Order: sequence, then C-alpha cells, then structure tokens
Amino acid sequence: MNIFNLINALPGAVAQGLIWGIAAIGIYITYRVLDIADLTVDGSLGTGGAVCIVMMLSGHNVYVSLLVATLAGMCTGLVTGILHTFMGIPAILSGILTQLGLYSVNLKIMGKSNQAINVDKFDLLVSLRYIRDVVFYKNTILVVLVITLLLVAILYWFFGTELGCSLRATGCNGNMARAQGINTNFSKVLGLMISNGLVGLSGALLSQYQGFADIQMGRGAIVIGLAAVIIGEAVFGKVFKNFALKLIAVAFGSIIYYFVLQIVIWLGIDTNLLKLLSAIVVAIFLAIPYWKAKYFSKPASKKEVKTNA
Amino acid sequence: MKMKRKIATLLVGVMCLGLAGCAKKEGYTVGICQLVEHPALDAATQGFKDALTEALGDKVVFDEQNAQNDSNTCSTIVNNFVSKNVDLIMANATPALQAAAAATNKIPILGTSVTEYGVALGIDNFSGTVGGNISGTSDLAPLNEQADMVKELFPDAKNVGLVYCSAEANSQYQVDTVAGYLTAMGYTCKYYAFSDSNDISTVVTNAAAEMDVLYIPTDNTAANNTEIINNICKGKIGIVAGEEGICAGCGVATLSISYYDIGYATGKMAVKILTEGADISKMPIEYAPKFTKKYNPELCEALGIKIPDGYEAIQ
Repeated sequence: MNIFNLINALPGAVAQGLIWGIAAIGIYITYRVLDIADLTVDGSLGTGGAVCIVMMLSGHNVYVSLLVATLAGMCTGLVTGILHTFMGIPAILSGILTQLGLYSVNLKIMGKSNQAINVDKFDLLVSLRYIRDVVFYKNTILVVLVITLLLVAILYWFFGTELGCSLRATGCNGNMARAQGINTNFSKVLGLMISNGLVGLSGALLSQYQGFADIQMGRGAIVIGLAAVIIGEAVFGKVFKNFALKLIAVAFGSIIYYFVLQIVIWLGIDTNLLKLLSAIVVAIFLAIPYWKAKYFSKPASKKEVKTNA
Repeated sequence: MKMKRKIATLLVGVMCLGLAGCAKKEGYTVGICQLVEHPALDAATQGFKDALTEALGDKVVFDEQNAQNDSNTCSTIVNNFVSKNVDLIMANATPALQAAAAATNKIPILGTSVTEYGVALGIDNFSGTVGGNISGTSDLAPLNEQADMVKELFPDAKNVGLVYCSAEANSQYQVDTVAGYLTAMGYTCKYYAFSDSNDISTVVTNAAAEMDVLYIPTDNTAANNTEIINNICKGKIGIVAGEEGICAGCGVATLSISYYDIGYATGKMAVKILTEGADISKMPIEYAPKFTKKYNPELCEALGIKIPDGYEAIQ
C-alpha cells in the first residue's frame, strides 16, 4: 500500500477518464439537452471501436479512421432517431433496439468478436503505452485533452447557432418548440446523431488506447457515461454555469469516476465488489444534489436549486 | 481555519506513512489480471501461484485482480500494475493479455488460457514465439483429435452442429478449425452461434432438433450455462466438448486439458524469467503437457453410447 503507486497510476486513470469523457459529453447531449435517455451508446461505442480498428488494419490513416468511426456512430444515432420519430417507438426502446441490432453489425464489421491492433506496428494516436516515457506531444492525456477542448469549442459554437438553439428548445419544452415552428422530430434525430457520433469517436480512441476492439466493450457504457454526467454536475454544478464549462465538467466527472476506480484497485479491495462499488458511487453522487436541496438549503434558494436540477 | 490546518497536518502525516512504506522489499511482486471468475481460469491462476510459491516461497508477493468480465477494467488493472512497476504480469485470458500488451513493452508478460497468441495480438505469420516482452501458455487441445473423437463415438452421424458464443474470439477460432477437419472427414457442419446466455436455449433447441451430434469448444459462456444445455440435450443428442467443465455439465466426452497444469507451466516460465534471467523474447508459447480422453458416464448411459477403451470417467 504505497501512496506513490497510486500517484503513478493516476495519469492512466486521467487518460482513460478523458477518453470516456468524450462519450459522456455525447450522453450529456441526449440526457440533459434533449431529455432523452438514449441506450444506443452501449452499441455505438463498439461500432466506433470496430470501424476504427478495421480501417487502420486495412491501411488507412489514423485521422481518417477516427473520422469514419465518428460518422459510423452518427449513423447509429440516425437509426435510433428514425425508429423514434418516424416509427413512433418510445425513445428508450428505440435505443435498446438499435443497441441490440448493433451487436450483429459490430460482429460483421470486425468479422469476429475481438480484433487486436498492435501498438508496435501501427501509428496509434493514443495508447496505454503513451502515458509514461514519451515526448510530451504524443502523450495520450495531452492528445485527448486537445481533442476534448476542440469538441467542446465546436459544440459551444453549434449550440449557439439557430439550429443548435432549436435543439435545446426541443429538449426544454417540445410543445412550445413546435409552436414556434421548430421541427422537433428533426431536432431529436440530429441530437441523437451528434451524441452517438461523439460516442463512436470515444469508442475509436478507447480501442486504440486498450489495443483492441471487443464486441463487449460497449457493455455498460451508458452507466459510465451517466455516472460521469452526474458526478460532473454534483461536483462542479455550483461553479460551472456556462454551457461550455458544463461540458468540461462532464469530462472531469468521467476522470473522477476512473480516479475512484483506480483508488479502489489500489486499496486492494476485492475486485469482485467492483460493480457494486461503481453502483454505490453513482448512487451517492445522484443523492448529493437531492440531499443538498432537501436538508441544507435555505428556503429562499430552494426554488433556484429545484429549477436547476 | 484551525480545522483546515488540522486536516492538512493529518494529510502530511498520511503521506509520510506512505513514504515509510516505500522502502524496497526483497523479493518479487507479480501482478495477476484475470478476466472473469470461472472454474477453468481460477484453476490456471491457482496453478500459476502454486508453481511460483513452490520455487520462491515467501519471496514472491501476488497482486491478484479480477476484471469481472469487463475488458475496460483490464486496462485499469494493468495500468495499476505498470505504475507499481511489478516484476512480472500474468494475464489470464485474451482481453487481459491484450490490455497488458498495450500497457507495457518492458515488464515481462506471461499469458495463460489464451488459445491463439497470433490471433490475440494481431501478429501475421505467427511462428510460435511472440518476441518482445510476451510469452505464455495456450489452452488449445489438439483440435484434429477432437474431430477424431466425434468420428469414434458417433460413426453413424452425418451432421455436426457447432455451438459457441459469437462474442468469444477463441471459440470462433476453434469451431472454424474443427469444421475444417470434420468437413474433410465427410461430415456436414453447421454453425450455431449465440450472442449471450439469453439466446442459448433457443439456439441449442434448434441445433438439437436439426443435427445428429453437437460440438462445443472451450467457450466461457457455454461453460457457465451447461445446465440449460443439458436440460435440452440430455438423452436426445450427444455433445463432444472442448474442455472438462463443459463435458461434466452437458457433454458426452472430451479431450481434456488441465487448466491447473497450464497455469503451473506458466508459473515455471515465470520462475525462469525472475530468478534465472531467462530471455522472455526467446521463449516459445507452451502447450498443455498431457491430454486425457474423458467421458461423462451418466450422459453416455442416457444416450446408450458404448465408450471404447482409453477413456477415463469424469467423477
């Protein structure tokens, strides 16, 4: 039990957290902005990973592969959107259906259940290997941080445009948005596409980071993503009011989630309890805003907290 | 303010304690990353630990972690090992090995319960030695002998159903290879893949109705669900299994390897690397030292199969 081991392990946790943070930002867009619980992500994360690895194995450039993985993720969002809007299936079910179907799609993309990519032979953008002893501009943490900031900047700009505002309006109050002449179905589909595009990109980075794409890699992604969203809001909610900062808070939330996980492993707690501990961590962070509002706020600020939540 | 200062003092105290614990201990630390709780993988880990403890006694300390069948957690665990700078990593099952290979090219990595290292690590023209910092043991039982076993026990059968989980790369490799041997022997093979434990009953019911005999490779999902398979197949159709656990649950016969043995062999490799300074990059992948033909008396009787000589009954 050596504190330096923990400190040494933290960069890895930060890198993993940042990569998942991109997926979490995607989940934030559906869950918070559009007010849809989108379960497509459990499948689209794997799709992103599979597409990226297969593209790279067939000799494509890493950036092209990432772009195509993002586009593939957007397609999965499009499918969920069409199921939801055009076919009238409830959002949560549409997501589950797409996720289910993606298992077969991902299997066909890779041709098998698990495809490795050798870090020594391919020029990967991020890898578990590139955390220590590399030149600083190849460091995974820096690379993913730059990508995250870039994405946040683009999203901040986009949600400020007329189209982006209509998307936010759809999530806030669908009826009102429709009354204003916004095509809410289009907004929902677009939101789902953006969200799953980000998740696909995250999956692509993740598969490079861990050195393989696996058919099971997306399993439970929605839980990790929601955990990141909720932890980010619970910890930074009071300070970060601006939309861009809120997105960054989500990425931080993801890092905190992996910090906790790393500490649990460092403490040598029985790893059989890992899933239970994850559930407890998420439950506690979910409860914090509720308790704060219920027991610790003065009556005057009570209203404000409620509207924010 | 006072409170804050107290907390700060406390924190500094804790960090000093951490420093005190930092003094380098004599001996070796070995990190073990196992994919999932599972009788076969547990046996391999146990064999590995026994071999090391026999050779090194108290000088070896194990840091044993289980990823709960979540490949992302493998990365987290391995990252922890690399930052602790353990002397050796033992990766039990394919995703654990892949995560370890991505994490370090310095710390020696020994894999076990991995069927095909070339497939697992994306190496073309795999020659039997991985090179670099990786070696280990394979759980592959000779697949041609398993195909022979089908012929020996079911001479009248024509159609063989291959039942496996589509999420497992190892299983895919085995059924592909076995299908090759069986087709060459004149059998017709059909694949029956299920995606998780929820599909098993539907897929196996179909397979049992359409085929004359079934084959199940060393598939983790099948191994965890032998009860369902047995309920469908008992007395109706015979199953040749890739490993003893599956055979004991629902199979008629198997060509068995002992996961304890391959774990033990991995442990011996670890001893060579740690104490004798053996070069891991030159160590070829090792296979199970012996194979035993085994049969399940209860299920053979239910089907009225006469077992030839040379088979051992599973207890």
